[in-house]
Amino acid sequence: MDHTELTKYILEKFPGKIELLDTGKAEPFFKISADFLLDFCRSIHSDEKLFIDFLCNIGAVDTGKKFEVVYSVASVKNHIRFDFKLEQEYEGAEIDSIQEIWAGANWHEREVWELYGINIRNHGNLTRFLLPDDWNQGFPMRKNWDAPDFVRMPEQ
Amino acid sequence: MTASKALRTEEFLVNMGPHHPSTHGVCRFLLTMDGEVVIKAVPYIGYLHRALEKICENRTYPQCLPVLDRFEYCTSMSCEYAFCLAVEKLAGIQAPERAEYLRIIMVELNRIASHLIWFGTTALDLGAITPFLYGFREREDILDLFEMTCGQRLTYNYIRIGGVSRDIPSQFIPKAKEFIDKFPSKIDDYVKLLNENPIWVVRNRNVGILPPELALSYGVSGPVLRGSGVKFDLRKDDPYSIYDRFEFDIPTGKYGDCYDRYLVRMAEMLQSTRIVKQALEQLPEGDIKAKVSPQFKPPKGEVYSRIENSRGEMGIYIQSPGDSKKPLRVKMRGGSYNHLQVMPEIVKGGKIADLVAVMASMDIIMPEVDR
Amino acid sequence: MGLIKKVPVYIEKFPGGGILTTSLDYVLSQSRASSLWYLLFGTACCAIELMATGASRYDFDRLGMIFRASPRQSDLIIAAGTITKKMSPRLRLLYDQMSQPRYVIAMGGCTVKGGPFYYDSYSVEKGIDHIVPVDVYIPGCPPRPESLLEGCLTLQKKIKKEKIADWS
Repeated sequence: MDHTELTKYILEKFPGKIELLDTGKAEPFFKISADFLLDFCRSIHSDEKLFIDFLCNIGAVDTGKKFEVVYSVASVKNHIRFDFKLEQEYEGAEIDSIQEIWAGANWHEREVWELYGINIRNHGNLTRFLLPDDWNQGFPMRKNWDAPDFVRMPEQ
Repeated sequence: MTASKALRTEEFLVNMGPHHPSTHGVCRFLLTMDGEVVIKAVPYIGYLHRALEKICENRTYPQCLPVLDRFEYCTSMSCEYAFCLAVEKLAGIQAPERAEYLRIIMVELNRIASHLIWFGTTALDLGAITPFLYGFREREDILDLFEMTCGQRLTYNYIRIGGVSRDIPSQFIPKAKEFIDKFPSKIDDYVKLLNENPIWVVRNRNVGILPPELALSYGVSGPVLRGSGVKFDLRKDDPYSIYDRFEFDIPTGKYGDCYDRYLVRMAEMLQSTRIVKQALEQLPEGDIKAKVSPQFKPPKGEVYSRIENSRGEMGIYIQSPGDSKKPLRVKMRGGSYNHLQVMPEIVKGGKIADLVAVMASMDIIMPEVDR
Repeated sequence: MGLIKKVPVYIEKFPGGGILTTSLDYVLSQSRASSLWYLLFGTACCAIELMATGASRYDFDRLGMIFRASPRQSDLIIAAGTITKKMSPRLRLLYDQMSQPRYVIAMGGCTVKGGPFYYDSYSVEKGIDHIVPVDVYIPGCPPRPESLLEGCLTLQKKIKKEKIADWS
């Protein structure tokens, strides 16, 4: 399946629930709503034509207005790759865990929780692992984060 | 069976790391043991969390490259390459033909160098010292090639957005050809040293078996996935740059144990020499860098770009706000992150000495995990 | 006899042999300087250069330097690589476990002053000299094996000057 076929297939499979973001790049990039995440992942994982069996990456983004969580997925069998993302407000950001579909999501989600403070529903093991155990300075990857010993690079 | 019932045993905890010679850096395991048998292994990471992603958010795109070098220092060239490919995809820049070839030559040589580090340290972990000295001897030859090109031994900053920083010197090609010609015979030496070595075989065969389904669900990639018998290599299956012009094979394993992963890596080094040989022969003349201003601002957008690194899939996600010369977000994804995650599953029920063998055969490197 | 001329010794000849007299300070510092066993404490990029220095081409062993995996057996920590805030208590612990006299070489920019991670990093210690006392600083990112060898020779020079009276 090439990229246009793939885009068409996914848009037809989930009518009205998924939005194509035109980023002008080779691989398609979709936007879904947060409550559709689990269903979406389940169906792309089990769909015969897609068979997305490989989770590449989960990354959270702080855009300055809200959070975005970006999922990059691929199929080893069918040689497909695409990305999708969802948006969350600052207050009470919470997403579902997708560990039941791809077990490798565990650490990626833990990292999102630890560095951005986005809560993960049904994760089961939300404990600190990148930062020191006694860390109490909040969520360092947020854009407005600051600390006394944090030195910013001077503008040149 | 009766003996174990009669003998009351008690579980105890063993802390392994973060400073432990066989954890390849600063990984820590908390092991629940029953005698010599590992009941449960919990990895603790973050001892090398250097906030590379936060740093990249506060740098311009060309300034990100030195930071990326330190993301996975055994194959710095690949990190730069992944980042440059992502930015070029984002901004629609096309690197000149000669630069593409030079990049591939460097990345493949770097892959050999990285596998040689793996070869030396793994053998060292399992008690053989000679492979360490042999592996680093050949690695120095590769580093000489890098050094004459860009002046650095480890963190090169050579591959730039839109090309490479400088052209190769005139003595590079003869030296590289000399290395490519002699290297296969060196691999024969290594293989003779280890393949039939009884200690090596006993410590690796049927140890740390990773079934392909488990590997895929945990996002395991690279030589570890291929060792489990899944024939998947991004250079062939999702070709980027000009990899479709070269002839090479994808070695795979059969059983998914440590020994297969060892064989796959040894075969991969040979395939890399094949690619370098072809690239040196086809190397065209011409420009080495497209014109890219140091202050350039890519258009608004986001992209995830991935390449096949020596440890698996290396992916860079970049989001550009469009009106800034700094990225809004750079997320790095390294193969080791997933390899370490799957480790507790496959060391369960084995001996503690097997954990060392599994850790070594996974080729985990901590900066890629912690970033 | 070249060595005899250089060192402060007195030789008295006996039939069938001789007695060599020298200062205890000299013998002790000389032998300590030429058998520095270092702790294998590689955290990041510099560890690869440390390994390369220990391997075939640069051959650390000729300075009498052999790596040990346990702090109890070593005289020297070569802190090779970035020390993060999570790691720094461990570095102190390892240092405390070593028996005196003990030395520290800060290898690479990160251990000197945070290196490339000085700005914009929330988790990197900005230099290790407020965790453990440092004897020799080696700048570079990463330093070449030659610089590491030079750093070790500098440390040897320092050790050779030490006297028993200075021991604490």
